[in-house]
Amino acid sequence: MKSLPILICLTLTINFALAAAAQNRESKLVRDVLPAIAKAPAEALAWKNPYEGQPDAVLAGEKLFRQHCAECHGEDARGRGRAANLRSPSVQNATPGELAWFLRNGNLRKGMPSWSGLPVQRQWQIVTYLKSLH
Amino acid sequence: MVIECAFVAAACAFLPPYSAAQGTPYFVTYSHRLEEPGNLEIEVNPVFASQGGGNDFLAATTEFEYGVKAWWTSEFYLDGQSTFHDSTLFTGFRWENHFRPLMREHWINPVVYVEYENVSEADKTMIEVTGFDSQSDHAPPNAVLRQAKDHEMETRLVLSSDFQGWNVSENFIAEKNLGHDPWEFGYAVGASRPLRLVATARPCTFCRENFLAGAEFYGGLGTSWKLTTSGTSHYAAPILGWQLPSGATLRISPGWGLNGASHHFVLRWGVSYEVSGFVNRGKGLLR
Repeated sequence: MKSLPILICLTLTINFALAAAAQNRESKLVRDVLPAIAKAPAEALAWKNPYEGQPDAVLAGEKLFRQHCAECHGEDARGRGRAANLRSPSVQNATPGELAWFLRNGNLRKGMPSWSGLPVQRQWQIVTYLKSLH
Repeated sequence: MVIECAFVAAACAFLPPYSAAQGTPYFVTYSHRLEEPGNLEIEVNPVFASQGGGNDFLAATTEFEYGVKAWWTSEFYLDGQSTFHDSTLFTGFRWENHFRPLMREHWINPVVYVEYENVSEADKTMIEVTGFDSQSDHAPPNAVLRQAKDHEMETRLVLSSDFQGWNVSENFIAEKNLGHDPWEFGYAVGASRPLRLVATARPCTFCRENFLAGAEFYGGLGTSWKLTTSGTSHYAAPILGWQLPSGATLRISPGWGLNGASHHFVLRWGVSYEVSGFVNRGKGLLR
């Protein structure tokens, strides 16, 4: 009987922990984006892609992707090794602005270089192509 | 020189897996653009200079630039020169490292650069101008110049910005002979831009998006004993770069000395090729 309060406390603790984990998972599911991309500042979320929906920009973006990105992410953009699958929801759920910000800044610690050396227009063309993979 | 150029040409022809570089076309100035991790860029950069009071010469660096990390690039150089009516000789090697201390893009992006040089005084590659470097340093015969060896440590603070397609880079150079001599200072400033910012939908070779144009200015700033811009050489040089769809990059830059201490005319050109995933390919060959 002495162990009953301990058992109750333990059960409650486990229940709380499970509930918290479920809530956390639910909030992540609302916006499942790669953590490195999710670091984009709030204003980047609202950046508008000037080439959105333009077929020529998709083609130009594809050309640029093959020149600069396919080496790590694969010709089909499905990722290789540590390089992310760019067709996955965790990338496709990002806004065009977040992708442009990430392309510009990279994730230097994890091996993704900064592509700020490409003119902004070409960065947006790559974003347009990436979004067309959805 | 011919052998070096043939080596890079062969590399261009027989190493199909390439990655297009996003580098700047400068010869002397460094920007904050580092090599992509795992990639190896092989580069040959010859320089011709007219020599007052001596023989004109052709010098060259062969450069192996490797992306160790996205924030760290390491480069190894082999230097040589050929002085007309004199001789041809290997002049030494350099090992340099570039580090990006900040992991995000900013208005001004700093890069810390550290280089060790083991070159003879016959080295005429002029990939930096510091202290009281002047054209008269290159006038004596090679047999005399090669007798003196320099073991030097060079550091640079690179500040680089990208704005509306332009790259603007400033380098502050401090060089020290490890045996003796005071600190020597120099500068290099460059600006460049692609001729067209938007990429076309189709692959192309001669379209404007593949060309970069710009200019760089570089020279000495005296020593820690006497900081000055006089008595040292200064140059101005427009640059044109061409990134070929094959992955090779060609660059050319005629330069002019801005005072009497400078070579009157300097012509630089370069060819480079970037091999993607160099280490992984090497491991694959050993399996």
